[in-house]
This record gives sequence, structure tokens and C-alpha cells, in this order.
Amino acid sequence: MPDLRTIDLEPAAGDPGGEWRGPILEVRDLTVHFPSDDGLVKAVDGITFDVLPNETLGIVGESGSGKSVTSMAILGLLPKTALITGSVKFRGRELLGLRENELQPLRGQSIAMVFQDALAALNPVFTVGAQIAEAIKVHHEVNSKDLRERGVELLNIVGIPNPSERFDNYPHEFSGGMRQRAMIAMSIANEPDVLIADEPTTALDVTIQAQVLEVLERIQDRTSSSILLITHDLGVVAGTADRVMVMYAGREAEVGTVEDIFYNPRHPYTRGLLASLPRVDGRRGDRLHRIVGQPPSLIVLPTGCAFHPRCNDARVPGPCNDQRPELHLVEDAHSSACHYAEDLPALSTTDLAADAEETASDD
Amino acid sequence: MRTEDEVSGLPAAPLGVPSIPDGLPPAPELGGAPEPEPRSQWQLFRRRFFRHRAAVIGGGVLLFLYLVCFGAKFIAPYDKNHLNLLLGPTSPSKEHWMGTDELGRDQLTEILYAGQISLKIGMAVALMSTAIGATLGAVAGYFGRWVDQVLMRMTDLFLVVPGIAILAIALKRFGQTDTIIILVLAALGWTYVARVVRGQVLSIKEKEFVEAARAAGASSTRIITRHILPNCIGPIVVNTTLGIAAAIVTESTLSFLGFGLQKPATSWGNMLADSEGYYSHNTHLLYFPGLMILITVLCVNFLGDGLRDAFDPQSHH
Repeated sequence: MPDLRTIDLEPAAGDPGGEWRGPILEVRDLTVHFPSDDGLVKAVDGITFDVLPNETLGIVGESGSGKSVTSMAILGLLPKTALITGSVKFRGRELLGLRENELQPLRGQSIAMVFQDALAALNPVFTVGAQIAEAIKVHHEVNSKDLRERGVELLNIVGIPNPSERFDNYPHEFSGGMRQRAMIAMSIANEPDVLIADEPTTALDVTIQAQVLEVLERIQDRTSSSILLITHDLGVVAGTADRVMVMYAGREAEVGTVEDIFYNPRHPYTRGLLASLPRVDGRRGDRLHRIVGQPPSLIVLPTGCAFHPRCNDARVPGPCNDQRPELHLVEDAHSSACHYAEDLPALSTTDLAADAEETASDD
Repeated sequence: MRTEDEVSGLPAAPLGVPSIPDGLPPAPELGGAPEPEPRSQWQLFRRRFFRHRAAVIGGGVLLFLYLVCFGAKFIAPYDKNHLNLLLGPTSPSKEHWMGTDELGRDQLTEILYAGQISLKIGMAVALMSTAIGATLGAVAGYFGRWVDQVLMRMTDLFLVVPGIAILAIALKRFGQTDTIIILVLAALGWTYVARVVRGQVLSIKEKEFVEAARAAGASSTRIITRHILPNCIGPIVVNTTLGIAAAIVTESTLSFLGFGLQKPATSWGNMLADSEGYYSHNTHLLYFPGLMILITVLCVNFLGDGLRDAFDPQSHH
């Protein structure tokens, strides 16, 4: 039986030299555990997903749901103490277990990363231009005149005003939004196939957020790269992603297209997240919905469904607290890891708001 | 206007696209003020350095000392080792600005020539021990684990052995020449730099830009040389300058104790040693070499201070 969590898109058979048509990135049953004094921290506990060519996959979840750890595992950037199992394939090539010097040519060249805090991720003692040039020099032999030209062009692409002058500025002379755009310029310097953007807009205010997201989108149009957009902000995902994976406690809760996730959520956790979004048409004085309780400890996960202690729809005792729900298709290309995914009532957004109200008055 | 795009495969940005969002003034960060002339890194460095007055003076005096000492052949008022036994020791005068010693040698001339050796030892030892120390410290700090353990225990070992005794034995064994002094001082002097650099590296390697560099595919060597060491340049420069001072002082100590340079080579240290009997009369024989050591050490320290500030692009003094 084919794995329902993956997209059935076989690479062009018998055409090894041709364009890779399968998923750019295939992640299978990836687990990342960290030994600690209190026990094994199950940061990522068996997730499976594909990133297709030229798509934007949004990964959404709370802090500690394993979003960033997943992206670090893909690039092999986790500390040596991490216990990693499963499989991560880039264009059909297994990445897990590769040696450091085998990974280095891939990093930045095939898979690049945009970090959350651009001020911290830029080296304070070099000019922005020197760092963009460095990102190219790691992988290519280019003379310094071409490097400068290319660097200025990249700054131009990401929308830095006066790029040729800004090339010689230090990171601390840039504004927050410009720094993030400079980071993006560095990460696309080698035209990667996959761009992992780990909370690229979290440190920015909303207007700058929009600019940065626009830059990402424009870059994707030009380079037809795939973007793995990691965020805790559903708003960011709604505007940018093609597909969304909602993570909870190191596993997928729900996977689907943006429309599926926002208009027909099939997991109580997704519903909770959506209901907690502030609404423009909400009444004054309405309290925001919240998902009761705390994210679970990743050392001792709740039995059954990890979300059941916080779930309004949980049937306890029942399968919710003694059977781990597997991700299964609920409709075409939309899957959920809830035992009762099909039974959840179809909710319109107004219902969600009403639902939220009801929960708020329950507290 | 850019028409062709040869470096990249990325399509060139259509004109007008770069400034996002459209309609905003091009550089809102500058608040409409006229664009300041962009300055090169070197210009910025120079500006920050010249703002540090003590460092400029220190650097200037040091440069002057190097020039006059190494140009002694042309400017020294007398020949080296020009004896005037009839004159004997005299106090500073118009003919002999720093006086003469008991053999009637002009002290100014002697000090200039001795300075060649003292300054050479100082510079060479500082550069060598910094190179060794920074490399070992960076490797220990970056790779951690057993590499760190081995290198740091080795450093501890070097720190606990009595340096002067080792130096004295080594010099007696291999010969008391300036080359041997430089090598032995450098071999013993790297430990301090290594510990300082290791400490810096430990904190810098946790910074996100190091992880970003790894994510960009940089190798460990590249990360150490291109990202970590440039961030340690401040402490490294300060330690190098302190190393110059320490080497000059240690050499003087050794010479004073009789383990230093052998005659006829002279340094400020063994000029001091030679005049140990003159604490009650002809004290100029003590003062001038001592004063030279003092001035050099002071200047070097001021210079180090200024360089550290100048190397830090975020310093706003």
C-alpha cells in the first residue's frame, strides 16, 4: 500500500540524465531525539513529507513542535549528540549519514537557509557585500570584480535601495528588514533548489514582513526553487504557501493545501490555531480564543494522540488516549492525524468564531 | 544601467522592481538626508584609529624608535663600540647626550644599536607566539572535545613550568644568540594567547552567523579563518602588543641574570645588567636603557588599545 502521506510522483523512469521530476526533497519517518538528563527528548517523532519542485511548503506549529529541528536535520546541522533516524532524500540522494565534507557542497548551493534573526546570522565584522561574496566564494571560483557585480545585483533583486553603496555597509548599519533581505540575498546567491526559510519574518514588524515575503515570492518566480517556509504565523502561511503542514509535538497533525487547511481544517489543533487568529470583523471586547493547556513535554508524550489533553473533541477514554492516530487521507491531497477527522463538523469561519466564543465563555 | 547579466543565471531585475514597496522613497532609512559618501573599510579603520589620541602618539613614538634604532648606522653620533678609555664614564653632555660608560662609549649610540636587538626580539616573539597561540586556541575552541582537552592540558603544562628556568637552561644548552632567544620565548609565550583566543572562540562559535556559514556550506577551516578569527582580532591584537612588551621585558630579565645575549651583541636588557653597579653614581647608565624599555612598553600598549578599537566596526568612541 502506498504511503498516503507522500505525493505519488515518480521520477522520470529510464531517464536518469533528464530533469528530476520527483519531489525535490523527500523526508521519510524522520525522528530526531536528543538525550538529556531527564530522558530522551523526542523533538521530531517520525514525520514524512515531500517538497515538490517550485512549491512553497509551509510548516506551522508552536514553539517546540519540531519545525526548526526538522530543517536543521535536513541540512545535517544538528549537534553530534542528536539521534537521527529515517530518511531525507534530496533529488533522490540520501542525505542522512553523509559525511561533513559530502554535505558541504550541498549546503548553500543546493539547499540554502534563511535564518530568523538576521542580525545574529550576519557576521558583525564584515560588510554585507563581503558576506554575500563569501557565500558565492564557498562554492565557486569567481574574481573579485564579478563577485561585486553579482553581489550588487543580488542586493538589487531583494530590493535594497542603492545596492552598490549598501554593498559596503556593515550589518549594523542596515535596518532590520534590510538585514533580512540581505540574508535572503546571501542564501539565493548560488541559486539553491530548496530554500529553507526558518521564521524569516518573525523578528520583523508587519509592514517589513510583507516586503520580505514578497521578495521570497518573487525569487521563487524567477528561480523556480522550492521554499520550505517554517513559521508559527498562520497569516504568513496563508499568503505565501501552496501547501501547509501543521506540526504538533514533533509529528504532523494535518497536511493539505492552503485552502484545505484554512477552509476545511480536519484536525482539532488546526481549528484551535485558526480560531485563535484575531479577526477584523470581531466585536470589540471579544476575547481571543486560546487552546487550553500547555504544549506537551517532549520527554513524556501523552498516550494516544499527543493533542488529546488539550482537545475539545477528544473522546476520553477511547481511542484518543490509547491509540496513536496515524496520518490518513481525508480527501484528495489532504490528510489529518485525528481519529475523528471525518466526523468533525464542517465549519465555516463564522462557526469557528462562534466556537471560539463558546470556548472563551467555558474558561 | 545594467543590460547584460553574465555572472548569474538569475534573470536580471526589471527596472523599477528593486525598490519595494513601489511608491516609497528609495531609501527611507536615511530620512531624506543627502547620501553620505560611502567609506571604504580602510578609511573607516583609519578614522577610528586616529580618533584614539594615545594610540596615535604611541604608534608614532614606536615607529620613531624603530626608525632611529634600525637606522643607527646613519644617525648614530659615534661608531658602535667606539672606545674612549681616557674619557671614562661621564654624565650626559653636549657631546654625549646620554653620557658615556666606563670605557668611554657613547651611550646614545649603544642604545640605538641595542634597540635593534630588543625591538627585533619583541616584534618577532610577539608575532610568532601570537601565530602559534591563535592557531592552537582556535582549533581547541572550535573542535572542542578531546582536541580541546589535549591542547589545553598542554597549555596548562607550559603555564606551570617556571619559564625563566626553562629559558635559562635552553639558552645555555642551545647558545645565547638572539635567534635562540626568539625561538625559546615564542615557544613558551603562546600559552596566554591560546587561552584568550580559545575563550573567544568558544563564545563566537555559538553565534548564529557561524551556523549560517555552516548552512552555506563553508568548511571548518573556512569558518575558523573567515568567520571566527576575524571576530577575535581585537583580543589577538591586544595580546600581540602585550607580547611585544613582555618579550622585551623577559629578554631584559634574562640578560640581567646573565642568561641573555652574549657580548658583543647588546640589548637594552644587558646594558642594564652591565650597569648594575651604578646605582649611586653614574646612574644615567641605568636610567637610559630602563627608560627605553619603559617607553617602548608603554607605547606598544597604547597602540594595542587603539588598534583594538579601530578593528571593531561597531565601536563608537
